[in-house]
Amino acid sequence: MNFHFTNKKISGILTILPGNEVTFEDEMGNYNFSEVKSLKLKAAMGFNKKRIVKPGVTGSDLCLHGLNYLLDHDLLQKDDIDALILVTQSPDYIMPPTSNVIQGALGLKTDILCLDINQGCAGYIVGLMQGFMLLDQPEIRKVVLMNADVLSPKVSKRDRNSNPLIGDAASITVLERSNIVTSIACTLKMNGMGAFALQIPAGGAKLPYSQETAEMIEDANGNFRSKDHLVMKGDEVFNFVQTEVPPLINEVLKLANITKEEIDYFMFHQPNRFMLQKLADKIGVSREKMPNNIVENFGNSSGVTIPLAITFNIGNEIENKLYKLCLSGFGVGLTWAAMVIDTGPLEFCKQIDY
Amino acid sequence: MEIFLNQMAELLEVESVNLQDEITSFDAWDSLTSLSIIALADDVYSVSISAQDILNAKTIESLYQFIQSKK
Repeated sequence: MNFHFTNKKISGILTILPGNEVTFEDEMGNYNFSEVKSLKLKAAMGFNKKRIVKPGVTGSDLCLHGLNYLLDHDLLQKDDIDALILVTQSPDYIMPPTSNVIQGALGLKTDILCLDINQGCAGYIVGLMQGFMLLDQPEIRKVVLMNADVLSPKVSKRDRNSNPLIGDAASITVLERSNIVTSIACTLKMNGMGAFALQIPAGGAKLPYSQETAEMIEDANGNFRSKDHLVMKGDEVFNFVQTEVPPLINEVLKLANITKEEIDYFMFHQPNRFMLQKLADKIGVSREKMPNNIVENFGNSSGVTIPLAITFNIGNEIENKLYKLCLSGFGVGLTWAAMVIDTGPLEFCKQIDY
Repeated sequence: MEIFLNQMAELLEVESVNLQDEITSFDAWDSLTSLSIIALADDVYSVSISAQDILNAKTIESLYQFIQSKK
């Protein structure tokens, strides 16, 4: 379905990465595969370095670090925050909402809406949509959208399917009304029939953690994981992305009444380099216009890879210049969404370490 | 068919393959090969196949026929 937003804008983006870096080679010995095969996988998928948290660090820690950075540098004022959204699949607690915990930790005003959203790879787009909708309310002038995922503790270290690519990160995006006329086009689709293509089976109400769920089991490909761990049906996800995303992009471009040639950058969720290259070829855009370098530098941090692709690749430029961006996220849900949005010059577009 | 055999030989990292060869019997076979075959089917033949489809097909000939039948 299509969404349209007018006179709204992104005014700043900050991404926060754990300082702790791990290389593919550091963990290669964990896998039940020969070195040659693992290095072949590394070359094909573009694995290299990734950032993961030290034990005990959560998404709210990364968000608070980022929010304090913005407050300390006068890039954000506490009293201006009318809504605080957190998109995450790794909340601090089942209850209360992590956004309320963050509000309390910062001592923000009580005239505020705190809202947790459980979404993954497309979560950044869903969060932007929610934020833009809230800005139609007269009393909401500024929305702070946080997107954080710390999923590395949920991935088995002996799972060559998921462990090489998983990374942790957070982003803070400030959304406001725009003084100049803007038009933002968005297309979103969901298919719950594929809900279990990407999953953490245990830990929710359906299957609470137990000794049984913690048992490590070998799969048909020689990977070891338990039901407490994230599991991904790689072939289903690959086919889903290659089949559904190219028509989605055509749809959103048509809705925005713009050609793919007019788009400066396709800032997409970053599953791995292989899938993004295939996607660029299939959509018919140059690989230069669709950055695919986030997984090799920081790992795949779910929805956060979209703002990361922006801060890492055009962070300095977009502080001074307007870009026509096509954003897209696809995965967990299954959910796939895309947005055409003019962005810049931003008040800030930076990347910091935790 | 000739083109498909060459493509499979390249993915399985051998000089050439035969129709009756079992796909999983090659030294290079692993989940990455499986994904590469899925990508080939999508790229070249515009067909979505699963990892299980490849295992079910067993031989290179059956896989070729399966892909053709889905076109």
